[in-house]
Amino acid sequence: MSTSETIGNEPAARLSIITAPSLSAAKLVRDLAKLGQYRDLLYTLSVHRIKVRYKQSVLGGLWAFIQPVSLMLMFTFIFSYVARIPSEGVPYAIFVYTALLPWNYFSSSVANATGSLVNHAQFVTKVYFPREILPATYVIAALFDFVVASTILAGLMMYYQVRLTIYALYVVPIILILTCFALAMSLFLSATQVRFRDIGVAVPLLLQLWLFATPIIYPLSSVPLRFRSIYNLNPMVAIIESFRQVVLRGAEPDYWSLTMAAIVSVVFLFLSYVYFKHLETTMADII
Amino acid sequence: MVNLTFDRVSKKYKIYTEPQEQKSRSSLVNKLRALRGHSREFWALKDISFTVERGEALGIIGLNGAGKSTILKLLYNITTPSKGEIRIRGKLSALIEVSSGFHPELTGRENVYLNGSLLGMTRREIRNKLDSIVEFSGVGAFIDSPVKRYSSGMYLRLGFAIAAHLDPDILLLDEVLAVGDAAFQAKCIKRIAQLRNEGTTIVFVSHNLGAVESLCDRTLLIKEGQIYKSGATRDVISAYEDLLLRLSPTARAMAESSASPAAEIVSINLFNSQGSRTTMFATGEAMSIQVELMVHRPIKDAVVEVYFNSVFGNLHTHFSTETGNRIDLEPGPMLVEFSCPEITLEVAAFDVEGSIRQRGTSIGDFIDRKHGAVLNVGRGKPVHGVFYTPHEWKVLNRDGPSC
Repeated sequence: MSTSETIGNEPAARLSIITAPSLSAAKLVRDLAKLGQYRDLLYTLSVHRIKVRYKQSVLGGLWAFIQPVSLMLMFTFIFSYVARIPSEGVPYAIFVYTALLPWNYFSSSVANATGSLVNHAQFVTKVYFPREILPATYVIAALFDFVVASTILAGLMMYYQVRLTIYALYVVPIILILTCFALAMSLFLSATQVRFRDIGVAVPLLLQLWLFATPIIYPLSSVPLRFRSIYNLNPMVAIIESFRQVVLRGAEPDYWSLTMAAIVSVVFLFLSYVYFKHLETTMADII
Repeated sequence: MVNLTFDRVSKKYKIYTEPQEQKSRSSLVNKLRALRGHSREFWALKDISFTVERGEALGIIGLNGAGKSTILKLLYNITTPSKGEIRIRGKLSALIEVSSGFHPELTGRENVYLNGSLLGMTRREIRNKLDSIVEFSGVGAFIDSPVKRYSSGMYLRLGFAIAAHLDPDILLLDEVLAVGDAAFQAKCIKRIAQLRNEGTTIVFVSHNLGAVESLCDRTLLIKEGQIYKSGATRDVISAYEDLLLRLSPTARAMAESSASPAAEIVSINLFNSQGSRTTMFATGEAMSIQVELMVHRPIKDAVVEVYFNSVFGNLHTHFSTETGNRIDLEPGPMLVEFSCPEITLEVAAFDVEGSIRQRGTSIGDFIDRKHGAVLNVGRGKPVHGVFYTPHEWKVLNRDGPSC
């Protein structure tokens, strides 16, 4: 869409060329450079997302706790009193919370980011900036909530006397993979939503089904082996299971499945970004 | 040195239409068919080429729908051309009013950071300019209050003040002079003049012919997506005025319209108190509007109306025959005159739209509706607030009225 090059005698004057949309590696590089120029917007808008929540509601930041904790309490009541679900020897509350924490990060990223372009039509039709910033800020805000809600996990671990091991450091790459995947989903869904508003209705349902297709409220070990090959196609399985493995069981993650999830996430992120940037050129015309 | 070049630029929009012929009962089937490509192509711009030299101020004028705002959107990179190339040398910013992006719960200061970065400023730049932005906007101590407590004037002024601090090489202006009260408009004009004197290249898209004339050296007149005339501003404006006066959609336009409505608006003409046809008025001045209709089939209980829309498309006021006697239309030509003793609209350009509908139908359910004229309201009776209210005054004795 636009390029920057220095003109010999006029170092300050940038030349931008705007042409019909095309797919090329050079364009991808230019797009990424443009995103770099707008990093202050990414920062300001992300801080804004977090701030607005504090200002608008009475409970403000407490919602970062309330959401995962209430789900944990509900699932704990249902699955340890009403219908018994094995939790591999650890108390069910901490078993489910360890998985709900990264899941909530993913699901609130995707749920909020999907409508981000359509809900900011007034920006999109009025001002130019790299549009991917809008969905990305929701992912960053959800990551912030994740960090806040992690303190509850720390409290639960102390209460139930679960000891951390060195393997807990794997949380960092696991969250990085999860962030790539959440960002990829967010870019893909938000760009598609501009043309097909059905996406906005479908996403909450999709996330609900997805929750049950991921080992969150039940252990991976209770999934029958004959279904595993299909079940494992869901990248969230490896991500959530690895998270639980390194935090709760203090053991090594399954390197092979985690690597596969990483490859899938990175490739999906790349494709989503290219798709997003291609649609971006006409977004303002149809939003 | 050339600052900006449009090189054979065309822009195509796809207009998605529901399939007319094989209309199925199920709307889902229709929608899926529409996806398959029931779209019409519409060329908003056709092969436009022009250049703007550094330090030059270029005006772009034309009727609504001529393609002016498409040019702005392309320049501002909100959308991309379908063909051709645009070359921009230097930093380009638009002086647009961004308060619609304000978040009501955040303070003025927080919103300045948010909107400033949306417009491409860095946090450091905003920090350095914050005092100046606050001063320009005149919101003073309110800068640390949530903007939901602002008056609508403060809201607009703050939004505008941010955009006024962008320091671009090329400045895009779009009907900016319609924002705020007279004092604030004067401030904006001063800021634009300052930027101009500093050698900023300016592209100004407007209906406000007076403003274009005072600001621009050279002007393009866009008609139906093409450059109709370009040259010295004075000459182009008179060509535009000729175009406006000839604007009555004639028999040709009727022949072109595919569907045949029961009645059509043929023309809308504005007359001043001397009875001469013009588009230039002032607040407080008398005006009469003649709507020329061609009735094809009898219409029982018709209502003829005239709408005054702002350049942003907001309806400001309307004239209507709805309140008076019932009119039944018989086939043939017809002329309806509205007379207005005092124009209460503020200084701005308005798009005058005529409509004909049946009484009892909702607004929107028109038999015909046409953009007919442009009304330029100039400075007349002072407007402080939103509109002028006709009023008289006299001094009474302190003891009360004496007989």
